[in-house]
Amino acid sequence: MLDEALIEQLNRGYICPPDAGPAWRAAYEAGIDMSLIEHTLELTPAERLQEHQQVLDFLLSIRGAGLANDTE
Amino acid sequence: MTQNNEALLGRLQENYVQFVVIGGVCSVYYGVPIATFDLDICCRFDEPNLRRIEAAVGDLHPIHRLAANKLPLELTSELCLRLKNLYLQTDLGILDCLSEVAGVGGYEEVLRQSVTGELLFGKFPFLTMDALIAAKQAVGRDRDLETLKHLRAIKEKLAHKAPPPKPSA
Repeated sequence: MLDEALIEQLNRGYICPPDAGPAWRAAYEAGIDMSLIEHTLELTPAERLQEHQQVLDFLLSIRGAGLANDTE
Repeated sequence: MTQNNEALLGRLQENYVQFVVIGGVCSVYYGVPIATFDLDICCRFDEPNLRRIEAAVGDLHPIHRLAANKLPLELTSELCLRLKNLYLQTDLGILDCLSEVAGVGGYEEVLRQSVTGELLFGKFPFLTMDALIAAKQAVGRDRDLETLKHLRAIKEKLAHKAPPPKPSA
């Protein structure tokens, strides 16, 4: 049987830590996915730019595919 | 379309262009998880430096991407005197070169408010986080304000993580 508490935890997404500062809380309340920031802060700046380049390549390949489909 | 920031930065450095990385790539450097589709730099807008930029991208079919008829980049001494910004499309992606950053100042001030970022492919000057926050605040468009919220949260988080200052002797 599934634990209801676990299911609730899985479904509710990111929870702003109770000790979050005002800027963190403001960003969270504005709808920003703070878990993404937590992830990038675990990386070095060099790793962040490397990951950004990979994301960029992926997004541009999708956009290229979308444009190709539009012209078909 | 491609946007190869690593290759663009490498070319700028190989050609001794005096510049500081600003804008979206600088935000990514500090941890903002928002993809950006151009490379923005602030640079010295004198003829020697503009000629270095031209040399760095000259074989990449650079055009003034915001000009109505997409003029190719062909600098003259007169043009160098009158240009304040260069919005370029190249075979390696978009390169926007600005002579000043709103909320910070001209190139000299931007350089003063920069830090050296060690990347996997070289060392490059990046605008400091505080100056980037000032710039985003000054421009104030919706997307800048969105980035600003990220930057403020990151700054706050890093301040909490920082070790307490050493007591003075």
